[in-house]
Amino acid sequence: MGDRLDDLERRIDELRAGVRRAMRARDTATARGLRADLRAAERAWDALVTGGLDPALPNDARAVPPPGDVRAVFPHDNARAVSPPEGPGRLAIPGEALGGVPVGGAPSSTAAAGGAAGRQPGAGGRRGGGGLRLVTVREQAHQALTLLGVPAQPRLIAAVREAFLGGGLRGAQLTSLRRDEERSFASSPYGRPYYLCAALTDRLSPARGLLAVSTWPQELRMVGPLSPRVHFLTCAVAVAERMAGGHGVDAEPDSGAARLLARMARNIPGGAVLDIGPPDPARVIEAARAELAVHAERDTRDRADLARRAAAQLGDRGRLFGAATLSTIGDRAATGPPAT
Amino acid sequence: MNRLDALRGTTPPKPHDARAIAALAANPGCARRALLDGAGIDKDATARHLGFPAPFGQSPFAITRGNAFEALVKADGCAELLRMLREVLELPVAEVAYHDVENVGAHLRHTHTRALIDRAARDEHDSGTIYDHPLLGLEIAGHTAYLEPDVVAFQLGGRFHIVEIKSFAVIDGQADPAAVAAAARQAAVYVLALRRMLRELGHDPLRVAHDVVLVCPENFANRPVATLVDVRRQLAVLERQLSRMTGLDRLVEGLPEELTFDLLPGEDGLPTRPAAELADALRRTTARYAPDCLSTCDLCFFCRDEARQEGACDLLGRQVRDELGGVASAEEALGLADGSRAPAEGQEEIARLLRTAERLRRECLA
Repeated sequence: MGDRLDDLERRIDELRAGVRRAMRARDTATARGLRADLRAAERAWDALVTGGLDPALPNDARAVPPPGDVRAVFPHDNARAVSPPEGPGRLAIPGEALGGVPVGGAPSSTAAAGGAAGRQPGAGGRRGGGGLRLVTVREQAHQALTLLGVPAQPRLIAAVREAFLGGGLRGAQLTSLRRDEERSFASSPYGRPYYLCAALTDRLSPARGLLAVSTWPQELRMVGPLSPRVHFLTCAVAVAERMAGGHGVDAEPDSGAARLLARMARNIPGGAVLDIGPPDPARVIEAARAELAVHAERDTRDRADLARRAAAQLGDRGRLFGAATLSTIGDRAATGPPAT
Repeated sequence: MNRLDALRGTTPPKPHDARAIAALAANPGCARRALLDGAGIDKDATARHLGFPAPFGQSPFAITRGNAFEALVKADGCAELLRMLREVLELPVAEVAYHDVENVGAHLRHTHTRALIDRAARDEHDSGTIYDHPLLGLEIAGHTAYLEPDVVAFQLGGRFHIVEIKSFAVIDGQADPAAVAAAARQAAVYVLALRRMLRELGHDPLRVAHDVVLVCPENFANRPVATLVDVRRQLAVLERQLSRMTGLDRLVEGLPEELTFDLLPGEDGLPTRPAAELADALRRTTARYAPDCLSTCDLCFFCRDEARQEGACDLLGRQVRDELGGVASAEEALGLADGSRAPAEGQEEIARLLRTAERLRRECLA
């Protein structure tokens, strides 16, 4: 029996190394297969070490792992549930996919184990930043974008999230979001109530690092030369209004919201009187609107022109995610004839 | 140029970046460096093969810090940068048009930069104010080097400004002079490249301002602050150095026919040439070592070692070397000072000075 245990332990070690290698090579299919083997081997080990006395034990035995830490494999399962590209429409109703994951409040032993494993450095993968998340990254970004009302960079989305909607979102988590959304749209168009899509440049290509919401009108999803500034000022107004409205924001001078507004106010002429002290939201709104008035007309015209062009030249997918700069022809053929 | 290719041999050429071009201006008198750069030789690989790897290149932490700071300055449609440009260049409020050249994709960036700059220089209707991620080209000894300034800003008055974002701090209005000098040299490369581009497009090259906007964190916070830096001197040095590089033929003529700095890379790309042979080949060219080389040249340790073996007074820095004009080595200088060596023709004056210095030293020590 000892020999068999030794063999099994060796096999478990090999499989673990294999899973790590596959994950490093991003070969998820192999990793999944290996993980299944790994679990089988672990069950066999459990069965053997307990002398096959309790057939129900193997499932719970995860909490008492054999040598080494088996829990390291679970965060990937969590991550798979969170990441959107698994199947079209799977996350159509936000939060649904996570319904099965126990969340804070009533921490069962599994949740605690999942949370602990998620925090293990390097074990949880990119998305496993804590198992106690109520809303998907996608939904979090959507809320922040809806608050801002204009296309925004991940960094700003994360800052807004932190200031008003409860933190937990990092800009880096949004990097692959747009690509995942595009893939999901490609496999089943309009399968979700909204998509986080790209803002389009004057060349109808996706603007770098900007996220937008597909339910917004096309004009709002275009970026003209003046738009970055207009977006910035609009965001400042939105943030200041939210602060003035006092939506769950503490007025502490060093709260996230105040810091965000102070940073924005500094870059608006007349927005901040002094460098120190909390900014006055009313003043920021006034200053931002004053500068907006200078740019608004030309920017609106530019974006309307661009939106017309986008409507004339791009298919459904292109209008949401932009024409690829290199393989435009192939993509257009794939998305069908351009709508008029 | 064939002769230069022969110097490089079978090793693939290494493209120049702004840092490397700027380093040229740091030591214009060095023939070894001029030859190696002219031939596009990978100096880093050469130095490593010779057993003198330079502690060179930026640390990953510095690069991360630099990128984070640049992202901060450029965030939200260059909001911070616009504030600073409004302060230092008195940019009008209406001037906020932002063009991200990189939107066209990497392969078209250079062409797109040209088109945008041309449009701005023609003063057409919707010329932009800020050009992010532009790509400029500069011809260096027959090869085109592609350069990426942080930002090019265009002002209503019709002048282009290069914006250079650096992450060293300006504390109480003072910054590390060496860092500022390096930044100014690097910015000068961009100014030169942009000027050449304007000239090719048929515009007045002087529309590129010789004042570059240097953006650095202020004091101990991360808040960016902008200063104007005059780079006229750096530009002059750079132009001279570049014109020397096109005149490399003269340097090459003095070299033996069979001389080559080829590393003879094997199938795996590792050099196979005996290091001693390569070192001999390099010693055939004259270097002009100075302690500043340690922060700009990959071959610095090799040249320093050579200078030490010769006991050259270059080791003591440029100022000492210039004051000891005509005296090559420390040994010679000491000989002249204690009178054990008769001054050669033209050395009388420096010999007298050295003897006086020696006498003063003895009196002090006695």
